[in-house]
Amino acid sequence: MSLRNRSAHSALLAVALAAAACSPAATPAPTSQAPTAEATQGAVTLTWAFWGSPEEAASHRLVADAFTKEHPDIKIETWNEPWDNYFTKIQALWASGDPKAVPDVAFLWPTPKYAAEGVLENLDPYIQKSGYNLNDYWGGLLESAKYNGSVYGLPRDIEVNVLYYNKTLFDKAGVAYPNDNWTWDDLLAAAEKLTVKDASGKVTQYALAVEGGKFAKWVNQNGGGILDDYVNPSKCRLADPESIAGVKFFADLMNNGYAIRDADLSQAGGDEAVFLSGQAAMIIQNTSRVSAFNKANLNYDVALVPIPKGGKRWNPAGGAAWVISAQSDNKDAAWTFLSWLQSKDGGEKIYTERGEIFPALQSAANSPAFLTDQPPANKQAIVTEAGASGVGGFGYFPDWDELNGTIISPVLQKIWTGEADPQQVLPELCQNVDQFLKDKGYPKK
Amino acid sequence: MEAMSRNPAHASLRLRRLFRWRPHQQWEAYLFILPSVLGFSVFVFAALIASLGISLTDWGLVGPKAFVGLDNYRSLLRDPVFALALGNTAFYVVTIVPLQLILGLLLALALNQGLRGRETFRMIYFLPVVTTLVAGAIVFRLLLGSNGPLADAVSAVGRLIGQPLSLPDLLGSTRYSKWAVVLLTLWKNTGFTLVVYLAALQGVPQELYDAAHVDGATSWQRLRHVTVPLISPTTFFLFILQTIGAFQLFAEPFVLTRGGPAQSSLSIVQHIYDSAFRFALMGKASAIAWFLFFFIFGFTLLQNYFQRRWVHYETE
Repeated sequence: MSLRNRSAHSALLAVALAAAACSPAATPAPTSQAPTAEATQGAVTLTWAFWGSPEEAASHRLVADAFTKEHPDIKIETWNEPWDNYFTKIQALWASGDPKAVPDVAFLWPTPKYAAEGVLENLDPYIQKSGYNLNDYWGGLLESAKYNGSVYGLPRDIEVNVLYYNKTLFDKAGVAYPNDNWTWDDLLAAAEKLTVKDASGKVTQYALAVEGGKFAKWVNQNGGGILDDYVNPSKCRLADPESIAGVKFFADLMNNGYAIRDADLSQAGGDEAVFLSGQAAMIIQNTSRVSAFNKANLNYDVALVPIPKGGKRWNPAGGAAWVISAQSDNKDAAWTFLSWLQSKDGGEKIYTERGEIFPALQSAANSPAFLTDQPPANKQAIVTEAGASGVGGFGYFPDWDELNGTIISPVLQKIWTGEADPQQVLPELCQNVDQFLKDKGYPKK
Repeated sequence: MEAMSRNPAHASLRLRRLFRWRPHQQWEAYLFILPSVLGFSVFVFAALIASLGISLTDWGLVGPKAFVGLDNYRSLLRDPVFALALGNTAFYVVTIVPLQLILGLLLALALNQGLRGRETFRMIYFLPVVTTLVAGAIVFRLLLGSNGPLADAVSAVGRLIGQPLSLPDLLGSTRYSKWAVVLLTLWKNTGFTLVVYLAALQGVPQELYDAAHVDGATSWQRLRHVTVPLISPTTFFLFILQTIGAFQLFAEPFVLTRGGPAQSSLSIVQHIYDSAFRFALMGKASAIAWFLFFFIFGFTLLQNYFQRRWVHYETE
């Protein structure tokens, strides 16, 4: 074997290996049917791309059928891949530059990054022409789909993080269920009682399991932040006293054994697994867990996430969005489809009814589609948290992924392992963030 | 033959013969290698050349390319993650390569004693080589986790002897995560080293051992002065192969730890992958790939240069 070829090709190898690593045997069967001859005169065929599990794909197809029933002149072909492969493949399609191969409407995240590359259609003209109502979206949500002030995508759902709690474990520990007035102190007091250790001091039941990536909740509740501006930043805010205190609150939960450490949580299979198995009495997570918990007949409910005394409720405004490809040759039909997807009685209703999403539209959340008699009982908590949505969880600029992936999250991970003290490492982290922003030319005019 | 090749006329004739295009004689042969050549040209060679071009641009995979000259290479000097990944990779090379060679040799020596059930042992040690790495890594993740069976076993032993014992958090701490990767890699690859060494050991002539024995050499001296020199070409082959493999370590840390926590087990090839497909910095990713290529190439040349000091070929 020639060494030259082997070594220079680490990049390709990486891709091949990654592909091998990410798709264990389950190479998705291409779901799009071969383009059939158009049956009706003047019918338009749109290619629609999304990721998701087989269950999610089934919901998407239901949506496509409902749309075609209302609009017989527009046919929908679907293209789907699992989350792990989706982005690599869709990027490859765009890179190929073949408008026939590129999906007309796609599910995408993060929208600003792709908008900056020029592959997405600016939706402003379509919104104006059709009088589409943007005010129905939750606060700050559209920021996640904007670039240079223009809307490039319509978010399908919003991530609403609430506190799930296991009623059985609360009853066993004799702790009152969380209510709307709980503060961080109440959470700590309950955590103390809900944490169970064995004789050797090993924790056998954690009070709380939260992904490290959700730290921004504590920071923003406490009046802190990550950046001074999430669209066009100039300064890091993680060294502000309020931010440090928020990070410290979370780190102390782990250091005291109340909350499972981030790395241990992912080894244990994530918050869904530890909550289902009773290893954790509470988790903070978005509504995507509801269907799994209902299926398992778990005795649980949801509540507002406790806030610090004098703090405020805050929820990260972000969700994957439907976009139109700039290379599409059926843009008007694509807009018809997109605006139907994002209407209270269209796609939003079906996804919400099937329990796939918490809707991006306030009207859909306040409709019978969401307010069902299925658990969790306290749906009002979800609506209240959604109402507290705003920027602050992540950047809405193209370089955010790199900034977060290479600079911010490694330092935070070190805090979650208990090896670093927030007080000491966050000021230095902020210097590095500021330097990164400067190197990349932020703030941009 | 000796005389012939000294004659320049003969030599050039031979050369011409060697390189002459003789399709009427060899077309079947070319046909046989055609699929491989085509695949190589498109998926390896063309991509290789393209990556050199891409390394001189700023390209986000889907947008337009902008020529930036050597900026990507220069930016590597200021990239702390690059330095960190390089350091981690160096750690992998200096731990995995020697450990794998020593372990592989020891196991091969043990199996070469002709003990009963040798085939069974050989199969057991070789099994990980043919096991899917991802499956193996997932099992390792369960085994080594802070609530895994290994940790439970260690604390059970602690209870038995009345001492508080606990397994360090191998996957969840920045201090030990690299060792977890080393452990997985050794488990996966030592079987290959073992089998190659076993073949080499069986090729060492018995007369030499007998002669050494007659000369009164102890078993350690026989190992040190007969076995080790005679299998040194094999050691050299494995050494080169494993060094390159360790420099290109990717799937092991990627699946086991995702390069974490806090980038503590991030390898240079995962840094290439992250740059390209997480952060859409194709130019930078290509630049790192080419840097790695020259680094490994230089390293291999050095190894090749120094081999004359310690590699003994029987024909010499």
